[in-house]
Amino acid sequence: MNQQLSIILMIDVKAAINSGSLQEYVYMFDNMKIDGSEGEGSNELVSAVNGSHWMNGIQASEQILNWSLISLGSVPRTVPRFFYTEKSRRSNLKAIDKLNELKAKIEYEGDIFENADAVLAELDHIAKQTGVKTKVQGKRRDLQREFGTSGFEIMDVTGELLNEAGDNMPEISRINPTITEITGEAVDKKIIYPAAYTSPDLFTNGWYWSASVDTSRPGKYAYTMHVKLHKLYFIGDEWIWTPVNLKCEAYLKISTAPRVNGFTGAGVAELPIPIFRTQEQVPGEIS
Amino acid sequence: MSSKINIVTVVDVIGALSERRLENKFWMMDNSVFESQNQGTHSLCTYCQPGQLINWVIYGLDVQTPVAIKKISFLCGDEDQVETDELKNVEEPGIEINPYLNVWSGFVPSYLIPGTEYRYRLEVQMSKGVNSVMSIDTPSLKVPQNLLKSKDN
Repeated sequence: MNQQLSIILMIDVKAAINSGSLQEYVYMFDNMKIDGSEGEGSNELVSAVNGSHWMNGIQASEQILNWSLISLGSVPRTVPRFFYTEKSRRSNLKAIDKLNELKAKIEYEGDIFENADAVLAELDHIAKQTGVKTKVQGKRRDLQREFGTSGFEIMDVTGELLNEAGDNMPEISRINPTITEITGEAVDKKIIYPAAYTSPDLFTNGWYWSASVDTSRPGKYAYTMHVKLHKLYFIGDEWIWTPVNLKCEAYLKISTAPRVNGFTGAGVAELPIPIFRTQEQVPGEIS
Repeated sequence: MSSKINIVTVVDVIGALSERRLENKFWMMDNSVFESQNQGTHSLCTYCQPGQLINWVIYGLDVQTPVAIKKISFLCGDEDQVETDELKNVEEPGIEINPYLNVWSGFVPSYLIPGTEYRYRLEVQMSKGVNSVMSIDTPSLKVPQNLLKSKDN
């Protein structure tokens, strides 16, 4: 096998946060079903990693694992990353237009507003159209940063901005979950060497987890993925995405087989070229 | 002179599987010191000498695509030649051999007639399934008639 192995976790973020259990609300897949993986689409994935070794026992191929997360209930990861900022910028420009309109109305036909309260109501209406800004809570509880460059505004899963946040709000798009650590039996026994790598691919928000595998010790090994999800809370006078750290487990089924010469099924020998040739292929006629 | 020749094949796996043929999706090259012919095409003629070790390696153009040499078989004559883009997936009875575990190398026999092209069929396995195996009959091995002459050219 010279293909890199992909493991994808599809997470029902809302259900996982509400129940406090990621294992129950994760659907796992990999691209190794053809090579013997089991449990695709379920929460019990056993990924087959088929290694190979030379006659002298040295590992002959490097197996690479890659993990990606997909959130159920988010704006799809395939939309451009500037979608969020663009959405926010457009709503702000629209609000400025509305304010100008309001100014003109007051100036030229001020009598349409009965009193100051009516003007305030109109201003409130405009303000709501700019969406609800949120912040993301970092590792330090007191530290809050904006998501992206201009604040991630609350939107539904179709990417429409929501005017109001609250208990009766429809399905909101959630921040995509990220893996923060991979631990467990496979790591402790030095079967996999996982690490987070930077990536130019914004699909993964610039980071992804990858691991190389020691296939010299066949067997079934468990590993645990630590995943950071976010829940939206109204704290003080702000909407804040608060991290919720959950775990889920999966397995690797490692096997190894010897590399053999394709011609002989064993060691190297002479190439099996037929001795007898047809008449027109004798030298002189072809060259 | 190096005693070993590497024949490296690069396949556009996605292109080949989409069009179900290897033409223009398949490039071969080697590092023979005798200046082999048709480098970078699917009809590479590798110039070699008896006793040299030849080693075949295959890579996918896209690193994420799985590809392996399923079989290399030398052709006897005209009757064994088949259309190069013919689709074949003959399930061989008996033990299933995983092509990803095979290493394709061997020594050039001493009985090859200098100046003769010994063509071989290269069967390529791309992932698994009904249409995963394709072959090409155009590459060959050749012991040059005059080593010095071919080097001068």
